[in-house]
Amino acid sequence: MVKKKNYTHIFLLSPFFIYFTIFFIVPIGALFIYSFWIAGTTDMIPAFTLKNYINVIVEQLYRSILLRSILIGFITGIICVAASYPLAYALTFKYKKLQDVVLYLILISLFSSYLVRVYAWKAILGNSGLINTVLKYIGVIKEPLRFLLYSPTAVVITLVFILIPFTLLPIFSSLQNISPDLIEAAKDLGANGAKAFYKITLPLSMPGVMTGFIFAFILSSGDYVTPQLVGGTTGLMIGRIIADQFGFVFNWPLGSAMAYFLIFVSVLVIYALTWITRLLKLNK
Amino acid sequence: MENYSVIIKNINKEFGKVKAVKSFNLNIKDGEFVSLLGPSGCGKTTLLRIIAGFEFADSGEVYINNKEVTNIPPYKRPVNMVFQRYALFPHMSVRENIAFSQFLKKRPKDEIGRKVKDMLSLVKLEGFEDRTPNQLSGGQAQRVALARALINEPQVLLLDEPLGALDLKIRKELQLELKNIQQQLKMTFIYVTHDQEEALVMSDRVVLMNFGEIIQVDTAKNIYFHPNSKFSATFIGESNIFEGKVKDVVSESCNILINGLILKTKKSEFVKTGENIYFALRPERLHLIKDSNNNKKFDNIINGTIKELVFFGSSVKYFVDVSQNITFLAQEVIFDEKDLIKTNEINIGDRINLGFMKEDVNIILK
Repeated sequence: MVKKKNYTHIFLLSPFFIYFTIFFIVPIGALFIYSFWIAGTTDMIPAFTLKNYINVIVEQLYRSILLRSILIGFITGIICVAASYPLAYALTFKYKKLQDVVLYLILISLFSSYLVRVYAWKAILGNSGLINTVLKYIGVIKEPLRFLLYSPTAVVITLVFILIPFTLLPIFSSLQNISPDLIEAAKDLGANGAKAFYKITLPLSMPGVMTGFIFAFILSSGDYVTPQLVGGTTGLMIGRIIADQFGFVFNWPLGSAMAYFLIFVSVLVIYALTWITRLLKLNK
Repeated sequence: MENYSVIIKNINKEFGKVKAVKSFNLNIKDGEFVSLLGPSGCGKTTLLRIIAGFEFADSGEVYINNKEVTNIPPYKRPVNMVFQRYALFPHMSVRENIAFSQFLKKRPKDEIGRKVKDMLSLVKLEGFEDRTPNQLSGGQAQRVALARALINEPQVLLLDEPLGALDLKIRKELQLELKNIQQQLKMTFIYVTHDQEEALVMSDRVVLMNFGEIIQVDTAKNIYFHPNSKFSATFIGESNIFEGKVKDVVSESCNILINGLILKTKKSEFVKTGENIYFALRPERLHLIKDSNNNKKFDNIINGTIKELVFFGSSVKYFVDVSQNITFLAQEVIFDEKDLIKTNEINIGDRINLGFMKEDVNIILK
């Protein structure tokens, strides 16, 4: 008796795939196509031109803001990883009993509203905000530190605190997967604590570090709301410029080209970083 | 003064309320293959880890070749360990795994290359240099782990149930290979296992442990034929073991009373009339008497009913009910066709005579 082939799985998966195709693949594809079109006065003109991409590179404003966004994203990613790694390490190898508590705290922070948290930082970093008030009170400063708000610094600080959960969890997960046997074996073979970390723990946790970095980097370099609220003029980022192209500037082709350019440069940065860590034998 | 490779002096180790190792004393000679044998939780792995430096004892000292290492970290001790789950570095090739210790010591490249090659041929894995751990079978992985430890030329090799995760056939193969390598290198091996057969096969001496203490230390043969306790008699090999009382002591033998049976055993200086003892007899020393003319050959004859018989390939085990609550286990080896025919003639429910010699009985003081 021949068994009838079961197609149930197609029915179960199709709602997701249909939704994903209609609301993600199609728009992304459309934007890609628009990036080669030309903007007309009231409409777009279908064409095939690289003018929009060249515009992004050539135009000083666009180029510098794009680079600034990548730089802010990169710095945010680095700070997030640098702050998360020691914490994840301590939780895995030294303070195992605190794991649950800390993870719950991290999760709770993810549940709270993104917008509310940005506003909270606006209050903390302002001229009469928490930091300046305390520093003035204890006499360290006389005038408020103005660079704390409406600046790239403010954007980085805010984004770091919001994105740390995204780096902590992958790093923690990859450290958890390292069998303590391996570290003992390394020590047995002559590695002291530092060598065992550098040769065994670090390379084995690097995939988690890269994942965490990529999350933080991608999410921050293209961010729109945070620079809008705490970035000021010096903290203007590419997300805002792209949004404007789809708003009152009404230049969808240019907006699409900017977006794809951002993706392209981000991918390059990630590949370069992966290559460097492999070269330095920090990665496997 | 004999050269001891490892001296363990009064080692104590507690984990919370649990006493894992109690007042442990042991001297291991240079080039000896010693097994630490015992049930789970007896402290054998803890002791091994104390020798390796992964645990620090609460009190006591450890000496390796007369140098004290009690408080020295593992990376400074002249010992190496082979782990139960291999612990091969997944992000390195076989070559890099094996070379790791030499790489840390900053040995010259060509020296490392030569040594790795020698190790691979020692463990019979030539050609495996570029494989990664996830491309290895269990047996292969364990050989790599062994090579990785031996390349460092340790004074003592510690093995923590290295064959536990392997198939029976591979395990038996590796048991013999490990023994060969040990004899070839003349290196001191300390081997932890809960498998008494493994300990018997490989060791010069066996350290039998229970509840953190040494129960008996001796060659496998001596422990097998002269167990010092009920635990020793039953942990290594199988044994008939019954509680009894010494009825009287005559010139050449003792008479032991067990549940109404009076059995003759060899004379022992430590045993007095009236003493409560354990009677231990190995199953293969208990013979089925099929022809009653042979009765006179044996010092003791008991009569019983066959409750069960189990075929083991090269031998057959008979469970014989001798009285209400005494069941004897006899094991007969099948040497030839004649034996096979004889076993086929015996059935459950048959009444049979069992015979044994008084020399084969072990009297253990309670």
